[in-house]
Amino acid sequence: MGDSFFIHPALFFFLGLPAVPLSRGIWRQCLLILVPLLALTMVSTLSPGLYGQFEIHGLTLTFGRVDKLALVFANVFTLMALIGAVYGLHMEDPWQQVAAMGYVGSALGCVFAGDYLTLFLFWEGLMVFSAALIFLRRTDRAIAAGYRYVLVHVFGGLMLLGGILLQYHQSGSIAFTGIDPASAGTAQYLILAGFLLNAAVPPLHAWLPDAYGSATVVGSVFMCAYTTKTAVYALIRSFAGFEILIVLGVVMALYGVVYAVLENDARRLLSYHIISQVGYMVAGVGIGTELALNGACAHAYAHILYKGLLFMGVGGVLQVTGRSRFSELGGLWKYMPWTFVFTLVGGLSISAFPLFSGFVSKSMVISGAWESHLQWAALGLTLASAGTFLHTGLKVPYFIWFWRDEPPFDPPRREAPLNMLIAMGLAAYYCILIGINPEGLYRLLPFEVPYHPYTAAHVMASLQILLFTMLGFFLLIKKLYPEPKVGLDLDWFYRRGAVLFLAFCRKVLRMVDEQVIKNLHKTVVLPLLRTLAALSAWTDQRVVDGFVDGSAESVLRFSERMRFFMQPGILSRYVARTLTVLAAIILLALYIR
Amino acid sequence: MIVRLIGWMRRHYHLVKVTFGCLLGLLVVGDLLVPRHHVYFLGDEIPGFWALFGLLACVLIIVVSKWLGHAWLFRPENYYETRGGL
Repeated sequence: MGDSFFIHPALFFFLGLPAVPLSRGIWRQCLLILVPLLALTMVSTLSPGLYGQFEIHGLTLTFGRVDKLALVFANVFTLMALIGAVYGLHMEDPWQQVAAMGYVGSALGCVFAGDYLTLFLFWEGLMVFSAALIFLRRTDRAIAAGYRYVLVHVFGGLMLLGGILLQYHQSGSIAFTGIDPASAGTAQYLILAGFLLNAAVPPLHAWLPDAYGSATVVGSVFMCAYTTKTAVYALIRSFAGFEILIVLGVVMALYGVVYAVLENDARRLLSYHIISQVGYMVAGVGIGTELALNGACAHAYAHILYKGLLFMGVGGVLQVTGRSRFSELGGLWKYMPWTFVFTLVGGLSISAFPLFSGFVSKSMVISGAWESHLQWAALGLTLASAGTFLHTGLKVPYFIWFWRDEPPFDPPRREAPLNMLIAMGLAAYYCILIGINPEGLYRLLPFEVPYHPYTAAHVMASLQILLFTMLGFFLLIKKLYPEPKVGLDLDWFYRRGAVLFLAFCRKVLRMVDEQVIKNLHKTVVLPLLRTLAALSAWTDQRVVDGFVDGSAESVLRFSERMRFFMQPGILSRYVARTLTVLAAIILLALYIR
Repeated sequence: MIVRLIGWMRRHYHLVKVTFGCLLGLLVVGDLLVPRHHVYFLGDEIPGFWALFGLLACVLIIVVSKWLGHAWLFRPENYYETRGGL
């Protein structure tokens, strides 16, 4: 057990949750700010150790394993909860805030879990509360996307649970610790698959753009921070050094970039860039050196803040104009300039511009790849970073704010609500703070590895890549004009594929049923059944009935004989029997006396 | 303030373009002077390599993605709705 004061930071969220719908106005707003603030304070006072252990049927469940890895994630989770709470402060509908609180609480529960069962408990909590953030948009589209999200994540959860149970069966251990790549078997790979689904690693990724493009404005700001990053945390904890993750990470980083080119919806574009960015973290976990693992943590930290900021900016536009498709936007620079500036800060951060947060975190992963002599991985990730700037740094701001001189609809009369702008400002502040003072972030990282991002050669190389990407963007701008289309992705299999499967059932299977099986029934099955029935009727009549009738007849005959003996109908015999019995009774009575 | 600045830049589009071009030139020239400590890769030693890499990366990403889109992946936005799904 640890020796310092411990309240599980998730407890603040789960205790505050029921109070949200019960309170009103300013009281509710105070509560919404107070809860993440208390949790953030608690997280920053925690010291490493094991807390909150319970014994159940011989299994030790650990709710509070505190170490540097857990703390860096808990720190950014609670910070983002605070920013997200400010962003959603204007909402009348308390249920989104309830869901968001449960969601953050579950993520914190995962981070501090010391064993797989506790992890699984909160892992499912993540799914339930985040699904609520989709359903609460209350449009038909969102509800359908919510159901898909739940089904996909139930599948992922079952893989995880299956892996946990199998591992427990094999080794008797549910410890949530590092796994040696050489000894990993089916159980460990099932757990890995469960984690990879939540980290949105292709081919288990299509739920992400589907869900985050459909959630509520505030919901997607929360969702972009927690589900994938909790999975990254779990990967760092258990699967550091699994080389397959390097390949998957680089593929992911490029996959997201390609789909972002095709995307017309701003929130879906940002979603594909989550996949791309999480690719850096997954690759870092796969490389598995201390520098690369530090890079994965640092990038997760920076990513949560700048991606939250980007979703806040685009969400602000959606809130004010009701639009998120590039083909329906443009010309907003005169009307929403502050939202533009904040979104640009997010865009420059994700693109790893010097002085912004991505620069000091993304380069750690890439340096980790260079130092491990994985040149193809480093080049692939650098290529993806050019794509990141192309889309998030250039395409998003350009096509929302500058593409047209005037918006193609009635221009909005106001900026995004003040609380939204304050939240964006907060996130932008942290993006720049981390960028200019990376030591503050590096101190939180799990390993002590010196790293200096601001060398002249590194700054120069980054600026060249970024600014020449910008040149390419403006040279090819005509090719990038938004097209009102969607790109086919692997969700085709359960969206279109399910419809096709139903059609197959309705048409082909039904035809087979009516034509083949019906006739088979008539010509073969029914006659066979009739013959069988006739046979059993014969057996019943001849064999069974014969036996039963025979035994009935002998009972009848026996009882007839008994009746003749007992009741012969002759008076003298009755009198004689009665007197005999009377005499016997009297003799017995005398004898007893 | 921001609006006025952006408006000014939009009106002086040509000037912005020239400035940007000069900046790009400066970056490549400056790359000749930068000391190199950690060389992991051939490209790190060639001045202007990363500039070329950035430009080619951008072109490659756009061309390949758009080609994939038009050849195979693009569908109308209501693709799933009009075919019995949601």
